Amino acid sequence: MSGVSAGLARHLGWPLWVVRALFIALTPLWGAGALLYAWLWVFVPWEDPRAATEAAGADAADAVEAARVRDVPTRRVPVAWILTGAAIVVVLMTVTAIALFGANGVVWTSTPGWVGGVFLATALAVSAGMWATLVDRDDPARGPRHENIVRIVVTVVLVVLLLAQLSMLRQTGVAGFVFALVPIVGLLLVYSSILVGRWRELTGERVRRIREEQRAEMAAHLHDSVLQTLALIQNRAGASTEVARLARAQERELRAWLYDGDAPADSDLPTDLRDYAAALELDYPVRIDVVSAGLPAERASGEVAAASREAMLNAARHAGGDVSVYIEGNANAVDVYVRDRGPGFDLADVPDDRLGIRQSILGRMRRAGGSATVRRGASGGTEVHLRFVDAGGPASPSTEVRRG
Amino acid sequence: MADAPVRVVIVDDHSIFRSGLRADLDASIDVVGEAADAASAIEVIQATRPDVVLLDVHLPSGRGAASAPDAAGGEAVIRGASPVVPATRFLALSVSDAAEDVVRVIRAGARGYITKGSSGAEVSRAVHAVAEGDAVFSPRLAGFVLDAFGAAVGETAATSDELDRLSAREQEVMRLIARGYAYKEVAAELFISTKTVESHVSAVLRKLQLSSRYELTAWASERRLL
Repeated sequence: MSGVSAGLARHLGWPLWVVRALFIALTPLWGAGALLYAWLWVFVPWEDPRAATEAAGADAADAVEAARVRDVPTRRVPVAWILTGAAIVVVLMTVTAIALFGANGVVWTSTPGWVGGVFLATALAVSAGMWATLVDRDDPARGPRHENIVRIVVTVVLVVLLLAQLSMLRQTGVAGFVFALVPIVGLLLVYSSILVGRWRELTGERVRRIREEQRAEMAAHLHDSVLQTLALIQNRAGASTEVARLARAQERELRAWLYDGDAPADSDLPTDLRDYAAALELDYPVRIDVVSAGLPAERASGEVAAASREAMLNAARHAGGDVSVYIEGNANAVDVYVRDRGPGFDLADVPDDRLGIRQSILGRMRRAGGSATVRRGASGGTEVHLRFVDAGGPASPSTEVRRG
Repeated sequence: MADAPVRVVIVDDHSIFRSGLRADLDASIDVVGEAADAASAIEVIQATRPDVVLLDVHLPSGRGAASAPDAAGGEAVIRGASPVVPATRFLALSVSDAAEDVVRVIRAGARGYITKGSSGAEVSRAVHAVAEGDAVFSPRLAGFVLDAFGAAVGETAATSDELDRLSAREQEVMRLIARGYAYKEVAAELFISTKTVESHVSAVLRKLQLSSRYELTAWASERRLL
């Protein structure tokens, strides 16, 4: 009906009709089938998270599956409130009974009705409180506030019951005192369910911490062995060989996994260019060192980034070897230097139909309101300098045109 | 200087890396000792009194079998050995590690820092530079210095004895190093002698070691990569 049979059938591996028939067959035996059904319906869902954390083999997985089957209908019924309501009704009846019989001076043994009432009311109230704590807590539609309200109502109900019993203490004597303990135990049970929740949180916390520690330990180990070996391979293989490139790419990947795991995937300029450098190193025999200083406000999607990528691609394609990229930026200006140690070239010698430099770098920067210079390095190689000044101000001449 | 070989001790907890490095260093460098952890490194350094110690930033301390590497291992070696052998210079080696570790080793007294990916020739050059009293800066370290001393946001030292900021010339030198220029290229670019470049770099190194600028540590812990 609410998926109990289906879940149980899947869990036990029996056909669905067998389970259903079993429930129906058991029902005439003092309602055993119905009770069992209700019991399963109540308890399996809140064992779900524990089964999930343990995740021990197929059985647990099945249990989770079974719980999920039953999950949705359980959430819809405000069980906690039904139980609370029932508890209130029974308490009212019991209190009335106590008042009536107490007034008549009748001892408790002759009135099993209100003794049962005390037990029943306490049981209902405790169930309501526990349901709210243990089951409804994980329900996003209800949550901790609902849990608190139910708990307060339940507490009030139990306290009323307790006061009613205490007021009759003179008439009921020692037995009455003993029975007054029942609601007190009930109160304790309701609040112990908080402790259960707390304990579960604590266990979860511990599991998380252990995982974190394991990860740190693994990172330390990988750092020590694998990164060192990768560094050694690069070292021994020479900067621009295939092997060194692969080792370097792996090193980058591993390092990113080890250290940047928790960092948000922001796309500021240095991060973007670093990623691009890693990609280039895979495709070209080149080693690109990206260094950054300051925090450029420039976005990775901007024109400067596009021009920088083009410059890096040119360096990787035509020069190879070691390429240095330096990014310096502050709130309103950014400088990018891309330097290679290749044969170098003269801008005037580049044919007009080659669009790389002229369009993708120089033209792009000019259109964006920045500046770009291409120059021969001090001892061979080429250096591209991109400068972009924000805040509407005119792009100041680049700082290093002191010698063409 | 070039006639007598530079005596070097290699401190690294990976024997494969030590032997690789030993094979890569050129003939002008004489490896007189090796050590795998901080405690034995201090002993070896005291016994051999080398010119230069090539020091891994991450080292086990050598006391007990700690599963996690002691981040302060390299630092401990410098602090432990340098009072005994004041003539020995330290060059930090790292697989381009967390900035805080590199900065700590430099602040403990290392004369420079290079990555383990550097070729044997590069390491040899750096060893000679350090042996002659120069500081060795990688582009990354230069970038870090520019960042940490606020050069990127336009802070410039007004007087030369100011420890918390870089002078305009020092900034220029650091920028060129960050852009991948060798000292010689920096000198040609700025129309100064290589010796002047070296003295600027040494001055920056001194500031890096002595400055109390809080960014040095704040920056390092904020970004975990150098």
